[in-house]
Amino acid sequence: MQKEHLFKVLVIGDLGVGKTSIIKRYVHQIFSQHYRATIGVDFALKVLHWDSQTVVRLQLWDIAGQERYGNMTRVYYREAVGALIVFDVTRASTFDAVLKWKDDLDLKVTLSNGKPVPAVLLANKSDQSREGLRSQIPKLDTFCKENGFVGWFETSAKDNTNIEAAAKCLVEHILAYEENITNNTDPDVVALPGYNNNTKERVRTRCVTCSKF
Amino acid sequence: MAKLQAGNGVQWKDNKSQRGTVENLAEYESSSLGSDSELNGFGNTEIQTDKYGFIGGAQQSTGENEDIPPDVLRQREAKWLDMLNSWDKWMAKKHKKVKLRCQKGIPPSLRSRAWLYLSGGKVKKEQNLGKFQELDRQPGDPKWLDVIEKDLHRQFPFHEMFAARGGYGQQDLFQVLKAYTVYRPEEGYCQAQAPIAAVLLMHMPAEDAFWGLVQICEKYLPGYYSAGLEAIQLDGEILFALLKRVSPVAHRHLKKHKIDPILYMTEWFMCAFSRTLPWASVLRVWDMFFCEGVKIIFRVGLVLLKCMLGSQEKLKVCQGQYETMELLRSIEPRYMQEAFLVQEITELAISERDIEKEHLSQLRRWKETRGELHCKSPPRMHGAKAIMAAEPPSRQDLKQHPTIIVEVPPTTESKGKKPKKTKTEKKKDTSPPLNPYPLPNDPTLPSDNLSPSESEHLQKDTPLQGSNQSLSSAEQDTYL
Repeated sequence: MQKEHLFKVLVIGDLGVGKTSIIKRYVHQIFSQHYRATIGVDFALKVLHWDSQTVVRLQLWDIAGQERYGNMTRVYYREAVGALIVFDVTRASTFDAVLKWKDDLDLKVTLSNGKPVPAVLLANKSDQSREGLRSQIPKLDTFCKENGFVGWFETSAKDNTNIEAAAKCLVEHILAYEENITNNTDPDVVALPGYNNNTKERVRTRCVTCSKF
Repeated sequence: MAKLQAGNGVQWKDNKSQRGTVENLAEYESSSLGSDSELNGFGNTEIQTDKYGFIGGAQQSTGENEDIPPDVLRQREAKWLDMLNSWDKWMAKKHKKVKLRCQKGIPPSLRSRAWLYLSGGKVKKEQNLGKFQELDRQPGDPKWLDVIEKDLHRQFPFHEMFAARGGYGQQDLFQVLKAYTVYRPEEGYCQAQAPIAAVLLMHMPAEDAFWGLVQICEKYLPGYYSAGLEAIQLDGEILFALLKRVSPVAHRHLKKHKIDPILYMTEWFMCAFSRTLPWASVLRVWDMFFCEGVKIIFRVGLVLLKCMLGSQEKLKVCQGQYETMELLRSIEPRYMQEAFLVQEITELAISERDIEKEHLSQLRRWKETRGELHCKSPPRMHGAKAIMAAEPPSRQDLKQHPTIIVEVPPTTESKGKKPKKTKTEKKKDTSPPLNPYPLPNDPTLPSDNLSPSESEHLQKDTPLQGSNQSLSSAEQDTYL
């Protein structure tokens, strides 16, 4: 029997890092230089035929990147089960903001067991960085482990690099969590909100799965 | 990364990864064709704009709105020139008439002047001569410059004025937005200000657009762009409360699916519908908005919600939060069509008092649940009359400065006494005038009332064959 999942996924990150471009590439297979700045929030739906038994419907929420909209994110984040956090490899300040976004996310939304929602880090506009982030790879691995990202990808919405892979990684983690709660209804497990040591432990193991991609 | 040099001489440095500094329109076409589904009706050989300057995109005119007959337009222009030339009197004594004329639509040739007069931007400009230039000379806070710069190419990318990277439109936009951050450093820059400024710039020079923006940010929509964005969230609650009265069905549906107003109204309100409606409708809404204030924005929102979610039948297809939001992002064109929308707006009985009343009760609720507002905004002014009452202009402030000075040839001895109708008719019989407007050698010509952009509009918007219907001389004399 076919199973259908509906997941709300947030796409967040600083202004102008390419969130809208990533979504348009992923959902409509297009790229344009002429997108409008997102004001408030935008949406798109991607249907994935995950395997013969599973259909995944991803609601992608494209959230305005300007800090000023930070007051509204509580409403935008509600009931999200995953996030793509994006920065622009050509602008260091957007990487500095990644943790701000991650903290905002973890503060305002958690999974039903109280753990942080899985988040994948996207180093976007890789087509624009000459040497890429190759030298940074070990650092980003550590960064992800330390900060609770389930993985990271060097992406380019323009060249269509790694967008699908990043989304796939995120969906795997979301599905893994779903299966976990359906199989494991241990009443002794007490869910704590926000960060805890468990979270980091969980992330470390998951990151290995992720490196397959 | 493209870097701007602030100040007067805006220079655009090359971006390593881009082919050039300025993408001209031809390049724009070749680079994006075939890769963007939004582009349609876009010729392969040359770029075609609609009458508003759009070369594509969802807001491009489909030509379904009927043009106003030239003779009607001529009459309206005369009436508007008359109003603008004794603006204080009209506003004081015949405000209803002004309102009615805004509802009918301001003639394109006079829209820029009318918007600036209605908003009080004209008065602000006159009372602060040299201010804009002074602001422009200052470097500005790099924090804001960086954000503004990121947004310049993302405002109406399908409008000819803003399509080219580093083109004049984007340069002006930078100038205006930067000036605002220097003018109000505590406010800085909010992303939604860019489309507002861009719409103004489509109609007027940078200095005028700046004062128009100031008036919108401080009088019409105070607090909308301030840190925390509390004012817009509060207006979301007000809108939702008013919806209960206008369409209980839509209200119940949104409530049932827990769809917070900020999920659908943020862009609508913050951009004054400039990114939502077809262009002809945007202009009509803005004509009324400048005259009557935020009430118009509320009414547009209520009309759209009512039309899209107002019956059980319609709700059958959107059983869910996401589906509903999708629906509100793709409003049926017939509900946004100029004539339909304007009629609905004018008929909807939601007054300033309704909004103020609801404002008070939502503010009370806000304080109970979320505490005091962090950002104290100045009180909202409901339209042109209120603004004028708050900041009464002198006659001098309302004087239109000549931007084109036409030498009057000494041969025209008939200073306004001669019946000009026969004269102009005679002329037209022999050779058609270059400009359909009153002839340059006509002594009563309103030449000093026309800014270059206005006269350009006149040429663009009025076919020559309509010129024999142009202003009758008697009217002309009284009005000018």
